[in-house]
Amino acid sequence: MNASLISLEISVIGLGLVLMLADLFMPAERRKFLGYAAIAALGVLLLASFAGCGSCSLTGTAFHGAFVNDGLSLFFKRLFIIAAILVLFVAVEFSDRLTAISEYYSLIVFALAGMLFAASANDFAMLFVSIELITITFYVLVSFQRNKLASLEAGVKYLILGALSSAFMIFGIALIWGTTGQLNFTELAAVASQFADSKIFLLGVLLVLVGLGFKIAAFPFQIWAPDVYQGAPTPTTAFLAIGSKAAGFVLLMRFLFSAIPSITHSHALSTMLIIVSGITILYGNLCALPQRNLKRLLAYSSISHAGYLLLGVAALNANGQAAILYYLAGYLFTVLAAFLVIALVLRQLETEDVSGLAGLNQRSPLLAATLTIAMVSLAGIPPLAGFFGKFLLLKSVVEAAQTTGNPGYYCLLFTALVGVVISLYYYFNVVRAIYWSKEPKDVSPIEMSGAAKLTAWLCIAGIFALGLFPNAVLNFALLAVGGLK
Amino acid sequence: MKHELFPWLILFLPLISVAVITLFTLRSKMVSSLISIGAVSASFILTVLFIAANGFHPEVPGDVLNWNWLSIDQLNVDFGLKVDALSLMMTLVVTGVGGLIHIYSYGYMHDDRSLSRFFAKLSLFTFSMLGIVLANNFLMMFIFWELVGISSYLLIGFWFEKPSAGDAAKKAFITNRLGDFGFLFGILMVWGLLHSLNFSELQSGVAAGTVTLGASATIAGLLIFCGAMGKSAQFPLHVWLPDAMEGPTPVSALIHAATMVAAGVYMLCRSLFLFDHGALQVIAYIGGFTSLLAALMAMQQNDIKRIIAYSTLSQLGYMVMVVGLNGPTPAMFHLTTHAFFKALLFLSAGSVIMGMHHEQDIWQMGNLRKKMPITFWTFLIGSLALCGVPPFSGFYSKDSILAQAIDQHNYLLFGIATFVAALTTFYTFRLFFVVFLGKEKSKAAAHAHESPFVMTGPLMVLAVFSVIGGFIGITNNFESQFAHEHESLTMMQQLLEPFHKPIPMCLGLGAVAIGFFAAMSIYKDAETDPLPARLGGLSKAMANRFYFDELYEATVIRLHDFIAAVFDWIDRWILEGGCIGLIRGGTDFTGRALRLMQTGNLQTYAFLFVLGVAVLLYFVL
Repeated sequence: MNASLISLEISVIGLGLVLMLADLFMPAERRKFLGYAAIAALGVLLLASFAGCGSCSLTGTAFHGAFVNDGLSLFFKRLFIIAAILVLFVAVEFSDRLTAISEYYSLIVFALAGMLFAASANDFAMLFVSIELITITFYVLVSFQRNKLASLEAGVKYLILGALSSAFMIFGIALIWGTTGQLNFTELAAVASQFADSKIFLLGVLLVLVGLGFKIAAFPFQIWAPDVYQGAPTPTTAFLAIGSKAAGFVLLMRFLFSAIPSITHSHALSTMLIIVSGITILYGNLCALPQRNLKRLLAYSSISHAGYLLLGVAALNANGQAAILYYLAGYLFTVLAAFLVIALVLRQLETEDVSGLAGLNQRSPLLAATLTIAMVSLAGIPPLAGFFGKFLLLKSVVEAAQTTGNPGYYCLLFTALVGVVISLYYYFNVVRAIYWSKEPKDVSPIEMSGAAKLTAWLCIAGIFALGLFPNAVLNFALLAVGGLK
Repeated sequence: MKHELFPWLILFLPLISVAVITLFTLRSKMVSSLISIGAVSASFILTVLFIAANGFHPEVPGDVLNWNWLSIDQLNVDFGLKVDALSLMMTLVVTGVGGLIHIYSYGYMHDDRSLSRFFAKLSLFTFSMLGIVLANNFLMMFIFWELVGISSYLLIGFWFEKPSAGDAAKKAFITNRLGDFGFLFGILMVWGLLHSLNFSELQSGVAAGTVTLGASATIAGLLIFCGAMGKSAQFPLHVWLPDAMEGPTPVSALIHAATMVAAGVYMLCRSLFLFDHGALQVIAYIGGFTSLLAALMAMQQNDIKRIIAYSTLSQLGYMVMVVGLNGPTPAMFHLTTHAFFKALLFLSAGSVIMGMHHEQDIWQMGNLRKKMPITFWTFLIGSLALCGVPPFSGFYSKDSILAQAIDQHNYLLFGIATFVAALTTFYTFRLFFVVFLGKEKSKAAAHAHESPFVMTGPLMVLAVFSVIGGFIGITNNFESQFAHEHESLTMMQQLLEPFHKPIPMCLGLGAVAIGFFAAMSIYKDAETDPLPARLGGLSKAMANRFYFDELYEATVIRLHDFIAAVFDWIDRWILEGGCIGLIRGGTDFTGRALRLMQTGNLQTYAFLFVLGVAVLLYFVL
């Protein structure tokens, strides 16, 4: 066993502990800067993972194969660290509305540690532990605004429904272990095909999928998302939308394509994936139509994006898997750009209504541009990241349709396109509210700190860079999914 | 090849100027005009340096000037530059004559409050025009073709507060679009049949016989010619050019003399290898007909700029005709000399208009020789060159056109061309006598004044080239492009070249003499136009442009309006009301209904969650 494989995770947990301890010694008015310290530390780790120093980018397995470091885990780890850095930026901007801010920072860092473990999970035990690490920190993060009823309500809902889904999942894991006697994905893959006809085994697989479906908010387990997104503090929502979802996807991909590939490629399961993906897209987009609350709107939008991402899973080919990775990278910058603006603009407002954006182009052209670019990218318009990601996903579905000849793929393609058309309406409604609202009530300029400006520019740069120069990330993604089947 | 970066710089300097002016210096007229003039002058100097280093036929290695822009399956679209004698000569004309017009504009437009905007548009136009000239494939040429369309739209409508300018801009743009539509089809046809859009590949392929348009050659050729028909204002799409005179005079000189209208002829010469005999015949007759029609119209116009505009139409007809007679060298030769003397005439006319305080009716002028001596001389030189009096440049180029018609044994077109030469001299000297000689016909004419040096300077430079353009080796360069074997002529040989073919020369000069004496006898000291009384209805028809605009109004535009009304009805009631209304309403309703599921009640949520699990299990197991 090579313990140095988990040096990245150890460093992140260490960082979380240091942040908690520092809270004891730091005077209250300077705790805000702990956030910057955490950002800097994570930045160093990110650079280390790129520069390949230490053992951050080693490949191999540890803990008897339960923990694996490969291209896929490396891709997701970098994604999670970038997400955490940007979320911390948003959190610093949000800090005046939270008590005990340094705990908040350290919880984000602990959730990040859970995600890093999830990226490397190659065993049901590891899968469950990392999911619980993420989810339990999120219970706290969601209900962190203790003086706000909505936040507490969201926390309770997330806790109970989360516990329910965990119960299903652990039951599923138990069934799989009971039938096959395997917990390790690699070993399970070797024997899974023998159990293809075992109903008990299939039941176990489905129940694990229920748990993962809850994480990514896929239909029919999406029901929690709007309430929780709306009630949670904005940085939490942002992290939930990208971090938690991406963790769900990496586990889903490992489970489907690495542990039980023979079952995944069976007719029943692939049909189910097509249907779930299609309904999730439609559900998210249709429900978003009448929404006026920005965070709720983004929650539904996030459900629909889970549906788009499932296109890549349902396609059951390497291009689809790479497209998921690429799409998540673009989605990261886009969603964080949107939540940054929401955190800054709706700071003084009691409501989170779309009308609060009125006159934003006069109050702060940078924020207006950031949100516009984010919305346009979410809608999937070239030359932004969202367009290229959707293009890759749809392309993989077309390939799947051509290779398998399954007409379901064409239906799925059509559904996805209809979803995109519907989504244009509500995304551009937001843009309209920014630029073409009549008589905005408040036209006072919005003060932005240097860090906030930097975050906005980083997000814009990320959205454009991924849209204009997709090759670097795409090649990395193709390499990363090489181990999946 | 030396200085391989230069062609890119030549192309992109004007674009940089557009960006800088529109983004940063709109407020400062002085800086903006300097940037724009600087950009085009720099392009000109770089062109000269490039030619000095590489000659007119540079060896172009591999992909130095080529950048693969788009590659989908078999479709490879390059963004590349083609430098050869044809494009380099044309670049010289565009940047050289264009540069002089830029400088002149600074004087002419000095008091306009939107001077910066004007120069930005001028630079945009120069960029687009250079793009057409330097493009190495049809698609890139088409993109720049459209850019020229849009920038000419902006320039013609520069004074958009005037409704007539706005209408003229729209007319020019839409008429051009009609031609471009055909052009695009032609390009698609070429790509569909020959699988390439690159000029060099096409030319070598056609020459080697590996690819051929076959039976569709005539159709493809005529479709491509549609583009030239629009840009070079050939019948029946000629109607936009006279109206385009609503733009500022330097724009008329730049667009409607030296560059944009020349683009059609240039494109025909560039792709001449694609045209078969049938297509060329049609092109030749359309050109000949246009030149005759426009010359007749010019005889009875009273607006100084419109007379010159019709003369431009007529001369373009010449060029198109001779392209159709398989004579790209005479066409490009005439294009070049025409750029000199027609820009000179337009700019001189601008000087007259400015001296007359924006009066354009020639019957309000008179005796300007005394008041505006420099303009008088430059205008005279321009007129002599236009009529084709030796040894002015127009004489040589027009003579080469007539000679080409004789060589091809097309005596009908030769007759038309000679007749047009007489008409040209007639209307040119009608204009000259009425404006510069005789008595002052208004108070404004009595108080006219000469223009400042920033305007007369470019006039003098253009005048010099209008005189010597015929024998400074322009033909040699074009001949080296189009003819397989040729020998460069010395200056003396060029001077005497027309004497080798005495018949066209004598007939041409005879026509000029007839036209001149007719104009002198009628218009010397005339106070009003005596021609309407003598010609009656014909004169009225000429003055009204043979009622083409009215004809189009009654047929094409009426029909178009009717079709538009029908589609408007279908769109409004069937598509918008029926289809879209139902779909939108249905979608909206579903969204609202689904929202009801989101009750906020935790027990309901948990129930739905478990229900979801049950459905899933039922479905799969």
